[in-house]
Amino acid sequence: MSGGLDLEQRYRRVLRLLPGYYRDTWEEDMVAAFLDSWMTGDPDEDSVTMEFGRPSRPEVASVIGLAGRLYLGGAGAPRRYLAWGQAVRGAVLAVLLVHAAAGLDGLVSVFLPGSHRIVPAPPATIVTASPGGVWPPTVWYVTGYVWIVIYVALVLGHYRVARVAAVLAIVPALAWLLQGQLTGSLQSPFGSWAFWFLIDLAPILAMAAFHRDAPPAARRPWLLALPAYYLLVSVPVLAAELTGHRDWVPDTPGLCCILVAVLCLVHVPRAWSGRAGTGVWSLTLVMLAAVAGVYRIISLGDYLRDPHLIYYLQADACYRKLGQPVTFTSAAVTMAYQPAANQQPALYGLNFTLSAAGAAALTAITTKAFDSRDQMAVSTAGKTWGVFMTAGPFTNGQFGILVQSENQALQLQRVLIPRD
Amino acid sequence: MTGQAFFVLTALAGGPRHGYGIVREVAELSQGRVQLKIGSLYGVLDRLAAEALIEPDHEEARDGRLRRYFRLTRDGRRALAEEAELRAATARVVRTRLGLTGAEAAG
Repeated sequence: MSGGLDLEQRYRRVLRLLPGYYRDTWEEDMVAAFLDSWMTGDPDEDSVTMEFGRPSRPEVASVIGLAGRLYLGGAGAPRRYLAWGQAVRGAVLAVLLVHAAAGLDGLVSVFLPGSHRIVPAPPATIVTASPGGVWPPTVWYVTGYVWIVIYVALVLGHYRVARVAAVLAIVPALAWLLQGQLTGSLQSPFGSWAFWFLIDLAPILAMAAFHRDAPPAARRPWLLALPAYYLLVSVPVLAAELTGHRDWVPDTPGLCCILVAVLCLVHVPRAWSGRAGTGVWSLTLVMLAAVAGVYRIISLGDYLRDPHLIYYLQADACYRKLGQPVTFTSAAVTMAYQPAANQQPALYGLNFTLSAAGAAALTAITTKAFDSRDQMAVSTAGKTWGVFMTAGPFTNGQFGILVQSENQALQLQRVLIPRD
Repeated sequence: MTGQAFFVLTALAGGPRHGYGIVREVAELSQGRVQLKIGSLYGVLDRLAAEALIEPDHEEARDGRLRRYFRLTRDGRRALAEEAELRAATARVVRTRLGLTGAEAAG
């Protein structure tokens, strides 16, 4: 009966996922094992099974897992696959190093004297179109710090801890992206999605290269790489931002491209010299260059869509106080915006009417922020709020803050307007 | 040693077996708790072979399909014995801490 071949063929099709060298050795054996697991000894029943049976999902998943391990240098794999595995592990660690350095940057900023990136963080949910969405700012800070844990765990060989933490770490960003996409509030959808897929998700999937058979990463160099990266990259970027030279700082994809280009320049003489082990690094750099290049190209779509992004994306990490702080102690809530008919979800807002002195100060500050495309920090009621983007100078003594729910508006009112 | 590797070695301690024979034996030994998928089985076999704990024994053709049998090596037998001793010692500690006697533990 020709149907007998169907189940076998289906299994062989699944086994095509495995590398050729492995199939040459084990395909017949594995097919026999698969088919044996179905056979009951009853000719009629077996005949039906052979004709209509299909590989179960867990079986297919187990073959996919095996294929992943083999392609990434599992036990007994040829040198080529071992090199691939090592190169992927290097690329994953390099990307996670950037994440961890960003987390370290955030951590250091909290304790940096005079820094305007202070805690409490700019409440991202409070300012329209700011990077925060559904999550309170604490989530973003904690997520940033978690990348340090993920990186160190991976270097130290705690693969499972790193995987679980990494999956948890990218969920808030995904939720924010989805929310921003659905509400149309994403400032840079191309770059944001590209970042999530290429810099967040792809390394996590590639963590499959850190399997049980993989040799452990060189601990000391990779651990030292974190403070070294921070000192050589993060500190100069921070210094440029705080000294008013942020125009010199490229945006995130630009920075990624520059870093990869520098690594390539450093690596080329070593590769030319034919030193042992440089082949794997060449492969790693090709992967990193591909990721950075694709990220750069996709994110350019945002600048085509909105040229103003070039100004405020450069400022997305720095909050500075402009002029004297304006206090709202004399302000009053005058109205709450009703959600527009085509606006989902609804936006609510508070309008503050300031005293004459407060209005003049507010006009000066917001004019300066608007002209410089700078971000602004507003201090009031003992807290500092970061304003992501100033839409225009406020000249009439009114200051409005949009939020995404009535509850948030009421909370904000309680914070900004102390009760007697 | 992982639980899967332990059960595979235990299955082979009873004599050479082929792929599905190992799967069936492991399920029986573990009273159904460990259901090895074929992809996982061959991953475990690769690893154990790379560590020289198992080796091919012989090949057998049945129904036109080739089946490879594996057997324990001397190192594999030693590693299994050590692991069994370790697990037994751990189990004794647990029983002691729980205040279980032999009869209670069995019952």
